[in-house]
Amino acid sequence: MEFLSDSVVLSRMQFALTAIFHILWPVLTTGMGIYLVIVEGLWLKTRNPDYYHHARFWSKLYVLNFGIGVASGIPMEFQFGTNWAPFAEATGDFFGSILGFEASMAFMLEAGFLGIMLFGWGRVHPIIHYISTIMVAFGANLSTVWILIANSWLQTPAGGQMVNGKFVVDDYFRAMLNPFALNSILHMFFATLETSLFVIGGISAWYILNHRHPAFFSKSLKIVLAAAIAVAPLQVYIGHLSAEQVYHYQPTKLAAMEAKWETTPAGETAPWSLLALPNESTQTNDWEIKIPNALGYILEFKPKLSEPVFGLKEWKPEDRPRMVGLIYYSFRIMSGIGIFLTLLMLFSLLQWLRGKLSAENIAQQRWLMVAWIFAAPLGYIAVECGWIVRCVGRQPWTLYKQIRTTDAASHLPATNVLTSLISFAVVYTILFISAMYFGSRIIRQGPNLTLPVPGLDDQPAIEVQPAEHIPDARPVEAQQ
Amino acid sequence: MKALEHFLPQVWFVILALFLFLYVMLDGFDLGVGILSLTSSDDERRGILMTSLGNVWDANETWLVLMGGALFGAFPLAYGTILTALYIPIILMLFGLIFRAVAFEFREHSNRKFIWNFAFAGGSFVAALAQGFALGAVIEGIKVDDAGHFIGGTWDWLDWRTALVALTLIQGYVLIGSTYLIMKTEGELQTTHYRTAKIAAITTLIGAILITIATPVVYETVRVKLFQPPLIYIFSVIPILGVILIGLLLRSLDLKEERPPFVYTILLFLLTFFGLGLIVFPYIIPNHITIYQAAASPSALVFMIIFIGFLIPIMLFYNIYQYVVFRGKVSSGHYG
Repeated sequence: MEFLSDSVVLSRMQFALTAIFHILWPVLTTGMGIYLVIVEGLWLKTRNPDYYHHARFWSKLYVLNFGIGVASGIPMEFQFGTNWAPFAEATGDFFGSILGFEASMAFMLEAGFLGIMLFGWGRVHPIIHYISTIMVAFGANLSTVWILIANSWLQTPAGGQMVNGKFVVDDYFRAMLNPFALNSILHMFFATLETSLFVIGGISAWYILNHRHPAFFSKSLKIVLAAAIAVAPLQVYIGHLSAEQVYHYQPTKLAAMEAKWETTPAGETAPWSLLALPNESTQTNDWEIKIPNALGYILEFKPKLSEPVFGLKEWKPEDRPRMVGLIYYSFRIMSGIGIFLTLLMLFSLLQWLRGKLSAENIAQQRWLMVAWIFAAPLGYIAVECGWIVRCVGRQPWTLYKQIRTTDAASHLPATNVLTSLISFAVVYTILFISAMYFGSRIIRQGPNLTLPVPGLDDQPAIEVQPAEHIPDARPVEAQQ
Repeated sequence: MKALEHFLPQVWFVILALFLFLYVMLDGFDLGVGILSLTSSDDERRGILMTSLGNVWDANETWLVLMGGALFGAFPLAYGTILTALYIPIILMLFGLIFRAVAFEFREHSNRKFIWNFAFAGGSFVAALAQGFALGAVIEGIKVDDAGHFIGGTWDWLDWRTALVALTLIQGYVLIGSTYLIMKTEGELQTTHYRTAKIAAITTLIGAILITIATPVVYETVRVKLFQPPLIYIFSVIPILGVILIGLLLRSLDLKEERPPFVYTILLFLLTFFGLGLIVFPYIIPNHITIYQAAASPSALVFMIIFIGFLIPIMLFYNIYQYVVFRGKVSSGHYG
């Protein structure tokens, strides 16, 4: 247990733990936020009270989730100072500024309107309430934008260079629009949306399967299915684009994602590894199932590679990522989930078109409902796997090719970090169990369909005066 | 450029002071209400206390997140050094804030409310205490080398002077929490908080007097700075103003006024902040690293003014709007 006395390793473990825990919650805050905007909008438009009850029911899960997201997010920001002070000093000009923007533009907007969204139903006009719901969703998704800009910059630093151990920015907009930024923002945006859709769909399917308000929950299932028609395939496509970017910009990560030890030169074909057991001490895979020539098709839609694909042996062990197996399998699990969810969407769509999802028939689709319930947690697993590929695969760098993780950590006594690490583990376990417990409790209770639906009564009535009858004075023939 | 290199860090010093003040004032009453809930006798009352914060605590806490991000961006060196030096109080504060935050929703759904009552009160207390120690340690000075990196020990932040600051800050939070509850509650609950406000006003005053005496006596640098013009003029006025404000506060509490006590408390906080700011300026790590040494490049500071500075009025606007929407007394003990 040598690592217990290494504060750098402990700081990394603490950051990994707090990040893995934290990202569970904003996923729903951002994705479900958009769903709430949709159902409240539908209610305002159609006046169908079902949509109002949907808005009220799902926002209960939303707020439970929200508090933990906020609470576990603050340690992320503060750790850059407590555990990663040299990194903070070197990159504050850009990275720190972006975190500040996230707070001022995204978090504050979200927090400023959340109270009205949750407790303002009777206090403000429905339109003001709707604006608040939109602002909360907008703020949450803006935080995706800023945090992905910040993280992408760690992957593909741009807009300046290191001078005397400090990153000096000479073009802020180039730094913000660094090569990874746009794809990463879209990939995470769709990840939160897709995960939320399948969470909402899975919970709806559970109610339908248990014959509780099947007509009510077939509505939410159809809304999320309709959204998934666009979201699920797009996410697979954007994921593919992201992998292509890794191929161009982060060859060390690609090699780890593919557990590829030997380099394939440009102009040749390469097999794609479906399953393998990477062995870092022998620098080979102990066994492997390969699909011949597939790597070229996957990366470039053609058999022969136009750029070399480097193997891990190209670099010295200290210059390439460790934990190859973790990166390799995380990538495969994430991609597999993306494809599975797309197939589930396609099959559900087929049943929908065949009329099997109507309020009367939907409860008979037992296996489909079971599949949706099974799919509910998959998005979270894919998100975690994606972040593991992204950030473990970036190692040994904190700022890719510029600042090593070992140089980025504060010089702290190992006992301090070990104590805080254990405390985080204990506290987060308590929070996780509590959230699952209270969440399942809210779901078991189900929607309160007796809540009074607010009208638009507090709105000044439009003045309507009975139209005055003016007798048509034209001759009878000219009338008509 | 020379002028900008001085001016921009000064601007950010003021903006950060504003964020910190807003945080201490706004989350100050949240944490104060949390600490006060320790003394509540029954669950209905605790419910009302938590409901009075339900819609605002999150936005109030966000000022801390904003201050963190802005400090990271504007003074990266100070961000790293101060937070590393204060590792233990910062982590304790984080845990306090975590338990405070989750208590709202968990309590609402739980059958065993006492667990989350305790998480709410205990979390608020630990967060407030940790903030007090952190504040005390920063004023006291952090041991750094010539490059501004922390070289002190793990427990440097813990001594009788920082403990004094921590206890006084808790009193201050209880004071502002009580005056907030005077506005938000009625009847017997309101009477209780007239009483707690009065006690807290007196204990805060005692703490403030002790700190005011101890600081110049213990620290030569502060003494030298204080007893020279122009600060000597300002610092002969601040204590007088403070005593006047405390007098006005106690009088309005006796008169059972509803809003003035909260306003006087805010003015007291503002006065304290103004005094602290003058003592600290132009340092960001007192007596070692100035704002000019720790500042990010001028271009970064301009970049941040564009994306944060211009948003300050907008953020203030919708925060105030939220208070307007939820004005008035809290009657039901149901959060949500």
